[in-house]
Parts: sequence; C-alpha cells; structure tokens
Amino acid sequence: MRVLKITVMAALLVLAASIAFAGPTYDRVMSTKVIKAGLSNQGIPFGFINDKNEWVGFDVDMATEIAKRLGCKLEKTVVNNNTRISFVQTNPPKVDMVLSNMTHKRVRDEKIDFSITYFFDGQKFLAKKGVVKDAKDLANLKVGSMQGTTSIVNATAYLKSLGNANPSVTGYDGEVAMFEALRSGRVQAITTDSTILLGYAAKIPGQFELVGDFISDEPYGVGLPQDDSAWRDTINFTLQDIWKDGTYQKIYNKWFGPDSKYPFPLTSKIEMWP
Amino acid sequence: MQTGPGALCSGTLLLKKSTMFKRYFEKPWVQNATLLALTGLVVYYFAFLFEFKYDFDWAVFTHEGQYGHMGLLMIKGLNTTLTITLYSSIIALVMGTIFGLARLSKFKPVYWFSTCYVELFRNTPLLIQLFFWNFALPYAFPEDIRLKLFDMNFEFWCATLGCGIFTGAFMAEIIRAGIQSIPKGLLEASYSSGLTFPQTLRKIILPLAFREIIPPLGSEFLNNMKNTSLAMTIGVTELCWSMTEVYSLTYRTFEAFSVATLVYLGLSLTIAGILYIVNERLKIMAQDRITPLRRVADVIFWPLDFLGRKLEYVLWYFRKSPDQRTVSPIKRSLSLFAKQLVQALKILFVAALVYVLYLVAMALVHFNWEIIGANFKTLLIWRFPGGDESEFFYGLGGLAGSLLMAAISITGSFFIGLIVGMGRTSRNRIFRIPSLLYIELIRGVPLILVILWFYQAILEFVFKVDVQAFWAATIAMTFFFGAYIAETVRGGIENIPPGQVEAAKASGLTYFQTMRKIILPQALKQMLPALVGMFIAAFKDTSLAYIIGVMELTRAAYAINNRIMVYPFEIYTTVAVLYFVFSYFMSLYAKRLERKLSPEVVRIEM
Repeated sequence: MRVLKITVMAALLVLAASIAFAGPTYDRVMSTKVIKAGLSNQGIPFGFINDKNEWVGFDVDMATEIAKRLGCKLEKTVVNNNTRISFVQTNPPKVDMVLSNMTHKRVRDEKIDFSITYFFDGQKFLAKKGVVKDAKDLANLKVGSMQGTTSIVNATAYLKSLGNANPSVTGYDGEVAMFEALRSGRVQAITTDSTILLGYAAKIPGQFELVGDFISDEPYGVGLPQDDSAWRDTINFTLQDIWKDGTYQKIYNKWFGPDSKYPFPLTSKIEMWP
Repeated sequence: MQTGPGALCSGTLLLKKSTMFKRYFEKPWVQNATLLALTGLVVYYFAFLFEFKYDFDWAVFTHEGQYGHMGLLMIKGLNTTLTITLYSSIIALVMGTIFGLARLSKFKPVYWFSTCYVELFRNTPLLIQLFFWNFALPYAFPEDIRLKLFDMNFEFWCATLGCGIFTGAFMAEIIRAGIQSIPKGLLEASYSSGLTFPQTLRKIILPLAFREIIPPLGSEFLNNMKNTSLAMTIGVTELCWSMTEVYSLTYRTFEAFSVATLVYLGLSLTIAGILYIVNERLKIMAQDRITPLRRVADVIFWPLDFLGRKLEYVLWYFRKSPDQRTVSPIKRSLSLFAKQLVQALKILFVAALVYVLYLVAMALVHFNWEIIGANFKTLLIWRFPGGDESEFFYGLGGLAGSLLMAAISITGSFFIGLIVGMGRTSRNRIFRIPSLLYIELIRGVPLILVILWFYQAILEFVFKVDVQAFWAATIAMTFFFGAYIAETVRGGIENIPPGQVEAAKASGLTYFQTMRKIILPQALKQMLPALVGMFIAAFKDTSLAYIIGVMELTRAAYAINNRIMVYPFEIYTTVAVLYFVFSYFMSLYAKRLERKLSPEVVRIEM
C-alpha cells in the first residue's frame, strides 16, 4: 500500500512540474523581470573569467546593458559551442537570449531566431610568428579549430581550395584547448573568428600573429527563441538604442579600442531603423 | 485519524481486500499482465498524451547533410572507442598483473612503489589524470621531442595510456586481493604434502585466485570501456565526441544522445554477456547438473583447456626431481649468478626509485609556489562569497562545490538505491523487472552521457523543469549512483541467511516489517564501507560535471589554467593532490570501518 502511495505522489509531482512554465518568452520576461542569458566563459574577449574570477567580456557587457535597459535582472548561464543553439531551441527555452560570439546563418536560423547583427567579425588564421609567410603555406600545415563551430567546416573547405585534398583540421573542445594546441606545438595554426584569436594571442604577447585574409564573414547576432517576434523586436530595438546613444562604442572601445589589449577597428555600423 | 466502529469495520475490509490482492499478485500471469499494462500505459502516455514539443528526425543519420554524413561520423567514433578500449584493456591487464604481484612482494621498495601507484591512481579522477597527461606532461620534454610526440597521434595515445594506467590500478588491487584471499591453511597443507612453491602456485593458488579475480576484473573491463568516453575532453574523436559533434551541428539532441546511448548499451551488454559465459565456466558444478550454458562455455574455452592440459606435460617433463641430493658445479654457479642478478636488479631498482624521487623533489622545489598560493582559495571555494546572486550559492564551487555535490547526490541515491535494491530482490516481477531494467540501463552507460541526458534532455523535455547546471549534474549523479547503491543493497540483503527471513515470516511479520526490523539493519551495517567507497567514487566523478560548465574543482582548475596558461604543472598537480587527500583519507576510513565490522580478516604472508 505504501508503495502505491509513493507512486501516486511521484506521479503528482511530475504532473505539477509539467504544468509550471508556459507562455512565450516576451510575456515571461516582462512579468518576472528576469532575463536568462547564455554566455560563453571561454571566449576571450567576449565572455571569459578574468584574474579576479569575474565573468567579463564584450558579450557579458552587452547582455548586462540589454537587461539594464529592459529593467530586468540578468541571470547568466554558461553555454559552449555545442549548447549555445540547443539552449534557446528547447521549449520552454533554457535561456532567453544567447550572446556567445555566434554568427547568424540561414542554417542556424531554421532552428532559432537571431537579432540584427551586433558585431562584425571574420575568420582568420593564427600562427607562430614567421611560420606562415604566404597564405598558400597554410595548405599543408596541421590546423586546429573548435568542435561544434562552422570555423572547422570553413577551414577544411579553404585548405582544400588551396590545393590540399586531405587537410588535417582537428576540432578541439573549446577555445582554451585550441590555443593550448597551438602553444604547445600540436598544430601549427589555429583558425576561428579573428577577435577570439586576438584575445588569445594577447595572452603571450609577441609570439603569435594573424595570417592571411579573412576567409569568411562572421556577423554575430543574439540567438533568440524561434517565433517570438515581440521578444525579437524588443532585443533589436534595445540594440539600436544602445548604438544610438553611444553606449555601444563605449563598450566596444573598452574591449577592442586602440588602447585595449585586443585592438580591432570598428568598420561597420549596425542596422538602424528610423 | 478516524476512530469508531465504522472506521474499524472499513479497516478490516481493507485488510481483507489487500490480502486478496496479495494472493492475486503472487500469480506470475497477474504480474506479467500488470507489467504489460504498465508498459502500455507509459507508452500510451508518452505517445499520445504527453506534449513532447520536439520533432524527431532520424534521417540525420542516414542522409548526407550540409556538414557531411552524420551516421558515418558516429561509426568512425565507435571505431575509435573500440580501439581505445581494446588497447587500454591490454595495458590495464599488464599493469594490473605486474603491480598486483608487486604489492605482495616482501622487498619493501617494490611494495612501496606499487602501493604508491595503486593509491595515487585510484584516488584521483580519471579526468584530472587525462588533463595532466595531455596538458602538463608535454612541457616536461624539450621542444624537439615534444614536437615528435605530437606527430605521433599524441591525444589518442594519451587517452589510451591514461585509461590503461587508471584501470590498471584498480585491477592491481583486485588481483592482490584475489591472491591474498587464499586461506593460509591451504598453503600449509600444500607445502606439507611436499609441493614446491611453483607447484603450489599452479595447482592451489592460481585456480582459486582466478575464481576470486575474474568476476570483478570483468566489471573493470566494462568500466574501462565506459571511461574511454572521457577521451572526448582532450579532443579524441571517439563516440562521445561524435555525438557532441552531431548535436552541435544538426541540433538533434535527442537523436544523437539516443544513438550514442544505444551503442554504449550494446557494447556493455556484449561485454557483460562475455563475462557471464566466463563466470559460468568458472563455477563449480556437479557433473549431473551441468547447465546448457556451461556446455556452450566449455566448447568456447576448449582450446584453452587443451593448451593447459598439454602444458601440464611440458611442465612435468621439466620438473625438479625430489631425490636430487647433490648439486653440480654448473648449477651451483648458475644459482649463485641468479642470486647476484636479483641482488643487482634490486639495487638498480632502488637507484631508479631514488632518481625518480630526486626528480620529483627537484620539480617540487622549482614549482612556482606563488601561483599555487594565489589561487588556492579559488580552488577551494571558487568565488564564494563574492559571487553574483544569480550564481549557484553566491559562486560556491571548487573543492567545496565538489564535496557538496557528492554529499547531496549520495544522500539522494541512498534512498533510490534502498528502494530499487529492495525491488531487485523482490520475488514479485512488478518490482523486480523495472528495478533490474533501471540498474542495467544506468550501469551500461557512461556517467558523462547520463549527465548530458539530464542536463539537456530529460529535465527539460520530460519533467519540464529548468535548473542550474549544478543541480542538473547533482540529479544526474543521484540517479547514476542510485543504480550502483541498489546493487550494493541487493548484495547486503542476499547475504542475510534465509533462515532469518523464514523465522520472521513464521512469527507473523509482514514483508516491510521484516525488511525494517530484521534485514535492513544488518544489511546496512555490512554495506557501510561500500557506501563510503561510493561516496569517494561520487566525489571523484563530480569532475565530470566539468562538461556542462559547473564550477567544481576540475572546472575551476581549468579556468585558472586557462587564465595563467604557463603553469599547467603547478595547477593540475595541486588539484590532483586535493582530490587525492580527500579520497585517500576517506578510503582509509572505509577500510577501518570494514575491519571493525568484520574482525576475522587476517592478512597472510606469501
């Protein structure tokens, strides 16, 4: 009999749990005043842990600014390259927005929605100084990239176009492992978005250099749950407001300005709606 | 509480009804029907009533997509997993045999060395060991050697050797315990009937020790297979890596997880099946009661038997004649030479040991202690109490987070284990079969996969709750260790003499009363050391929560190493020491408990 009672209780618990949480993201955020943001903690300088063990970075600052403007509390959740899409894809979404140096692509847009572009980047290669004199040298090098990103797909295609039919591209688990592979000599070059490469190269100044041209455009968008246009509009307009009053430039200069550790000139302008 | 005659009347009625029920449920067909009905209900619920909010698309594995053929990727991963498993099993067996025998040596330096190996590798998490081999070790070599190493598929061999060395430490303990389990009296009897030491070894010790060793050794092989999934973290493209690649490129979480789980389950069941046949072969059976499976096992093992029998003749031919009283000069000088050789080897071994100790001491002296000192507090408690309020418990993590996670999950899994373990020993199929399924399902899958399932699929889609990564990992570990504790509980219950159960039944106790008053108190007392052992295992396995970004000790170390970059040796050594200190002292405690609870164990000299 007791067993039965326990079973019934357990069943009730499951039921109770399944009726909680409902409704689209916009309504929930506006009623609870809490935004859950998915952020990377390995992507220097977008989201990383600094020497005071604080979670900082460009994406972190942007997320904080968005939350501040919407009058909400920000709840940060770690995402990585493998989970940054699935966390907004689930229903209900695990996080309300993802700022994790994520390129918006049509393939990705089939699963989730994206805001307007909030950062302009492109993919490059990073190698020890003097190793690569010409972009063609890259073809036969051992190259490292990250698992779960399109960088690895782009790089393989690029090396093939340079004439190596069977290029060696290894997918490491995250930015740290990838940079470690370059530093220890496991691979001779690594490739991903240029700002991340800059961020890691600045760890050991003077040893590494960016080589070659951009091999792809990587415009970043905020990842948002599919089919929630009220929420998407809110984020888009907030981004535009952040740009309009100069806060964007302030945040940008803090991380990528000429005096920062990772200088990267701002060349484009985000999409503005009158 | 209701009182009065009415309540009493309905109470007796209920009692009558419940006894009627009970009688019904003792019939196998009723049990089968109920099980079938329950399965039907579950299937019906999930197929029609439950809103999954997820579209399954199994075609990802059969069609070439934008990023290549995913099915092929999984098969490649499986291939790597099998290769690592095979190689590392062989390495583990060799290491285990050598160090297990060395642990029995009377020559103290050998004993100390092997004890160090066994304790060191058993009491630190495999993940930390892999990180150490992969991230720290290469810097111990000069640059040109390092680059040569990297040319030789370094990550793969790192994972293979790492798994092999780790499992070898466990196997060494099993082999030592197996050999030591032989009663002293048997050895004395064998010596006094005139058998020499090699003969005793061959005829008495090994056959008996084998029976003791093979079953736990087999489960180590199984564990080793599951542990190879950790190779993913250092970039080896094995099955778990392929699975991650599939879901991060196609966003097909459920499909990728399901396929990987099924493959791991298939591998586990295959290994378990082989073990079952081996165990059947080892059982002592009366000639007239040989089971059909035993016949099958006999046929499979016939070549080995045949070889063994032939070897017997060879050994007999080269036997030492007992009536040889005189020793020829050649033999004498040979034996003298052998003695001196052994002596020289011993000296060489000690010298090598001293050299290694010197190297370690030098490395320790040259450690950058400032870095360790500066980050020690971070490793212990992470950011607590300076963390953000949205973080888990104001940024608690590091060692404290790991211990907390282990404590919570073992407490939870104790109750799961108790219920499932009781269900597993129940004679009623309605309880036994679901318990069995739960135990075997969980034990056949690597913990890393269980954590991913819970964090990204089960809590989300089935229970529709959203929890922090810390809690997701804790819940996953609770269910995982629940299955292992259930097996311990089952062992404890089955060890109780059946006479006690009969006596309890005869004196009119119900099933639950018997359990509560007679069986569980005794079984739990016996289980206590095993439970402490389980806590140690859970503490080490909290390192796997690394994979979903929980800031426990391993992740904290990883973050620090990521920030400082140039002192991997210092950081990973400190973390390994932290894990070691806690696990080792807890295992000492477990041993003391065991000795206290079963005083008749005596260590025998070999």
